[in-house]
Amino acid sequence: MSADSNVKVRLNNSELWGGLIGLGLGIFVVQSGLKLKLGTIHEPGPGFVLFYAGILICAFAATIVVAALTEGGPTFGSRWKDARWAKPVIVIACLTAFAFALDPLGFLLAAIPLTLLLMRQIDPVRWSLAVPISILVPTGIWWLLKHALGIQLPSGSFGIG
Amino acid sequence: MFQRSCLAIALVALAMLVSVRADAQQYPTKPITLIVPWPAGGSTDLTMRAIAESASKVLGQPIAIDNKAGGSGTVGPATMAATAKPDGYTIAQLPMGVFRLPLMQEVPWDPSKDFTYIIHLSGYTFGVTTSADGPFKSWQDVVDYAKANPGKVTYATPGVGTSPHVGMEQIAMLAGIKLTAVPFKGGAETNAAVLGQHTMLQADATGWRPLVDAGKLRLLMVWTASRSPNFPDVPTLKELGYPVVYDSPFGIAGPKGMDPKIVAKLHDAFKKALDDPAVIATLSKYDMVPNYKNSEDYKKFVVEVTESERNVIDALGLGKKN
Amino acid sequence: MDTLVNVAHGFGVALAPINLLYCFLGVFIGTLVGVLPGIGPISAMSLLLPVTLSGTPESGIIMMAGIYYGSMYGGSTTSILVNIPGEAASVVTCIDGHQMAKQGRAGPALGIAAFGSFIAGTFALVALMLVAPRLASVAIVFGPAEYFSLMALGLVVLTFLTQGSMVKALLMACIGVVLGLIGLDSITAQPRLTFGRMELMDGIGLVPVVMGLFGVAEVLLNTEQVIRRDIINAKITRLLPNKEDWKASAGPVGRGTVLGFFLGILPGGGAVVASFASYALEKRLSGTPERFGHGAIEGVAGPESANNAAAGGAFIPLMTLGIPPNVVMALLLGAFVVHGLQPGPLMIAQNPGLFWGIVASMYIGNLMLLVLNLPMIGMWVQLLKLPYNILFPLIILFTIIGVYCSGNNVFDVYVMIAFGVIGYFMRKLGYEPAPLVLAFVLGPMLENNLRKSLILSQGDLGIFVTRPISAVCLALALVLLIGPLLPSLRRKRELVALDEGA
Repeated sequence: MSADSNVKVRLNNSELWGGLIGLGLGIFVVQSGLKLKLGTIHEPGPGFVLFYAGILICAFAATIVVAALTEGGPTFGSRWKDARWAKPVIVIACLTAFAFALDPLGFLLAAIPLTLLLMRQIDPVRWSLAVPISILVPTGIWWLLKHALGIQLPSGSFGIG
Repeated sequence: MFQRSCLAIALVALAMLVSVRADAQQYPTKPITLIVPWPAGGSTDLTMRAIAESASKVLGQPIAIDNKAGGSGTVGPATMAATAKPDGYTIAQLPMGVFRLPLMQEVPWDPSKDFTYIIHLSGYTFGVTTSADGPFKSWQDVVDYAKANPGKVTYATPGVGTSPHVGMEQIAMLAGIKLTAVPFKGGAETNAAVLGQHTMLQADATGWRPLVDAGKLRLLMVWTASRSPNFPDVPTLKELGYPVVYDSPFGIAGPKGMDPKIVAKLHDAFKKALDDPAVIATLSKYDMVPNYKNSEDYKKFVVEVTESERNVIDALGLGKKN
Repeated sequence: MDTLVNVAHGFGVALAPINLLYCFLGVFIGTLVGVLPGIGPISAMSLLLPVTLSGTPESGIIMMAGIYYGSMYGGSTTSILVNIPGEAASVVTCIDGHQMAKQGRAGPALGIAAFGSFIAGTFALVALMLVAPRLASVAIVFGPAEYFSLMALGLVVLTFLTQGSMVKALLMACIGVVLGLIGLDSITAQPRLTFGRMELMDGIGLVPVVMGLFGVAEVLLNTEQVIRRDIINAKITRLLPNKEDWKASAGPVGRGTVLGFFLGILPGGGAVVASFASYALEKRLSGTPERFGHGAIEGVAGPESANNAAAGGAFIPLMTLGIPPNVVMALLLGAFVVHGLQPGPLMIAQNPGLFWGIVASMYIGNLMLLVLNLPMIGMWVQLLKLPYNILFPLIILFTIIGVYCSGNNVFDVYVMIAFGVIGYFMRKLGYEPAPLVLAFVLGPMLENNLRKSLILSQGDLGIFVTRPISAVCLALALVLLIGPLLPSLRRKRELVALDEGA
């Protein structure tokens, strides 16, 4: 019983997972370095620095993993304690949706809903303020960039903007 | 229903065709980016800026210079070939390394396929310099020192497989000495390296001229057929007993698949730029001679030069190892 | 005497009405982007570079330079009042500056930041004029081995100063180096870690990474807090620091100026590192280090002076050698060469009007900034008084536009969003992004110089220890690396290390 809960606590240890991700990354970098050829010490090749940087990443990440296993560490729960974790998740979701929409829809069609959504989601701004701001600011910047600086923001497949 | 959608598709296709044509007719409608694959402030950079400035007047749009140095002047063109749209708004200066490096190692571009050649412009004058505070007073000093200390003489080049690198290796072979090449990103960097005596020599295009004029660098030789009018006291390779002449020609190209109309517009603008007195003055400041070839001739020239370079590279043992 | 004649000549150029206008435009835009979080001098300068093409070289460069040092002033305002760095070099100013503001001392904090910046900026200019040629000959001794060791030292210093686990900071630095190496190899032009994506051939852009890790991640972190950090809303009174404030600040301003100036000259140094180093120095020298983080005026005066002095010092290698010591100077080099000017040993002699005109304009610009930032501080505060629920969406919008404009590339927007999300989780798990970003910038140079050094020395690693400057840098780095393992030094580091995410 106690052993069980012990394992559970360990798996919930955020330090451990941070270290493991680092370790995975390090191994990948070492592999990439090897694939790119190390060259010789007289004439280091393109993979030389990658290989050694990868080894350093592995070493540091392993230190973190070992420390997490022997000394324990804060759980994921404690890291997000007292935080409105839903808010960043919503913002991340909005940004991801925006990233997918930017190319096909163009800047204006993607940025106006994004601004509006963010205004209403982070800490609701009243509609009568949120709607005009989210329309006027992106349009204004778009206009300024296009006509004053000659920079064309993406116009998307509908050619709006 | 089916018919209607067919009609719609046809209409859209037509509209697209028209719009593409209109694009080529009106080109250029926005600033053009010219990638210069060397650091700002080198001889290529400064001459390309003068040429671009003049050509932009003909085109009626500014030409922005984007310095994308690295990989012997190939990182810029290779990035362009891989990422830029062939709409004529991104073009690049094409140095010899673009044709030579593929003969020496695996590279992600193919010079025979990945570029639309626009115009051939000019060529470099190369020279070998050393710090004015250094021990070498003449090229003979270098040869003597290198014979006594093989491999100890280091020289800064603008990159692996660039003309100064391959040229120096050829000279070393003829002189029976062994030199160590240190690859930098371009003239601005090789100047600093030889100035600070981090390398004993510098083999590069005429970007060193202001420093030679200021007495900070000593010019040991030039690689042209006859002596440079700017440095009448400096011997050529031939006078030093090496029967070679090195000038590295360069031109401008875009990504593959450019509209011939756009190519023609760019070609005409840059050809006019070559006749501009301001451009001629800048070119002669760096001992460059205009060497005009039109788009077709440039393309043929690339095939020829690739073949002749293959022989040199193989003779030096620098070729790709399979 | 020559210098005086030259200075007079320079003022003649700088006081021409058109140049005054460009100078004002530059420092105004600089203050604006400095005040606005998420957009900094780098993106503003790359946006406006094409605009300078139309004018004379003097006016263009005067404006670009104005944006740079102007942003150093503006950044502190946001740090002090909002606790979000307006731009990267003001990160440390947040720590004590915002605490002072919370205690009702926003006025003196803003005042000392502006005066410190002015004093440091002026000193840097005098030094620039008097000692530029002499210092140039020092900088030329730096060869590949010295560059490598100096940058390695810079990275170790930053990981040492970063709060929390040093192992994590070192891990971040290594990952930063690897991220910096993505793209075509600078020597052999082979694609590395590009996963076949064409967009990655050119490497990941600095602007999207920085805006993601600092701009977007910062907003994400802020949204989860129920209690919002509020801007100091009370009327800012008494901008002039009192006698005690001046007494406490005199040392930090002086030391920050000198330290910043020298760090500005060194490649890889620059304003950001200078402000961090000054903060650490003041904390270490202070008799009461525990006051730091709770509104110590030294913690504002030192770093703010240092970052302005660094901004001035950075002009030296650029103007005398043509070597840009940091990203901003690289952009400014672009502004020179756009006009066909070649910064280098001969530039000052060949274009005296240009060099002295720019220097003189910086004096005038610094004076303008003092006016813009003290009597007119209210205007900038108004800008910051926007409520958070409106400001955050707009910051995200600005970062998106800024990133897109810096490269005209939708892919950069994806990169920024990805790094925003990664940055959020990194902060939550106690990994600081600052070492990653610095390593990202230095990574390619670090690699290139390491490989060049080894080619030069023919594979002899001894090159790094037989050359004195390199050996000293590496020895210092080693001390900082091994130090934290010793218990006594560890305690000291915890005292010095920065308390705020950066």
